[in-house]
Amino acid sequence: MLNSFLSRLAEDTPTVHIAPSGLFEYRGYTITNSMLFAWLTSLIFIVLFIVIAKRMTLRPKGGFTQIVEIGTDFVTGTLENSLGSRQMALKYAPFFVTIFFFIAFSNLFGLLPGVGDALTYHDAPVFRAFTADLNGTLAAATISMIMIQYFAIRESGFMRHLRHYFAGSLKNPLTYLAGIYEVLNEFIRVGSLALRLFLNIAIGEIIIAVFSFLGKIAAPLTALPFLVLELGVCVLQAYIFVMLSVTYLSLAIKHGEGHEADDEAPPITVQKLAEKNG
Amino acid sequence: MFVAEITGNIEVLGKGIMLGAGMIGPGIGVGLIGNAFMNAVGRNPESAKFLGQILVFVAIVELMALLVFASLFIVK
Repeated sequence: MLNSFLSRLAEDTPTVHIAPSGLFEYRGYTITNSMLFAWLTSLIFIVLFIVIAKRMTLRPKGGFTQIVEIGTDFVTGTLENSLGSRQMALKYAPFFVTIFFFIAFSNLFGLLPGVGDALTYHDAPVFRAFTADLNGTLAAATISMIMIQYFAIRESGFMRHLRHYFAGSLKNPLTYLAGIYEVLNEFIRVGSLALRLFLNIAIGEIIIAVFSFLGKIAAPLTALPFLVLELGVCVLQAYIFVMLSVTYLSLAIKHGEGHEADDEAPPITVQKLAEKNG
Repeated sequence: MFVAEITGNIEVLGKGIMLGAGMIGPGIGVGLIGNAFMNAVGRNPESAKFLGQILVFVAIVELMALLVFASLFIVK
């Protein structure tokens, strides 16, 4: 009896999914499990944050509302450091705070019990984290980049934004080469944002799967440190995604027009020295 | 004429060499970032507030390590 129990625990290889598996068809489109989970996550997210937004008061009340307030303050502080002034930070804060919490939640929901191979539908897992799928992170990175371009164009006008890439005299052929390289750089940034998020989360899942497979009966014990590591990685990767997006936005808005006014006291002029001494 | 002949699985050998050689770079890179951060904090203890920025650079370097690890599943 122990033999059959042990043989049921032992598998050949750890089950690892990299690509999402389609669940069912709808008018010719395949609905994959990560799409389904993305809709579910969005629904939970929207409902949760509408409830929380109504509960925000001036005095802190504790609970989950305070965590959301801390996160909002954190992202707005990052925006303020990069963009320079508080009012510009408040102008762009809603988008970046939403992206931060949505990606953090998407990452964390991939660690819940039930997400993965526990529930299967025709041999495919029913739920799969949205960011553990390259399609999902590519979508998030593309939308971030499109919104950054839209914000930059809204801030400084279309021709000026193009001149930001093609900087330098227009008669110089080197300007066009540098401009094409800069545009290519933007696309590479989209790819690097998407790949970074996807690889961190997917490899975390793979590591947890491998270590659960290695400790056959003591699988909860052997996978526990990596689960805790994954909790940290989820929030950290969401923060890094938002931080890099904010950096790209500040690079696109600031054209190197000149330095901002210093906050130091004005230097002492000769007249004031004469007044002091005489 | 063979100098040496490999019997066995050459795919696994290739994957092992790729993983081992590929992780050298990011490992050294993250170590250098830590070195620079510790030097800066040693000279000026107030620069410990830049820890958040440092982690962003670490993530940029970690991307290379993760690309190597991911190509483990792509290369046949």
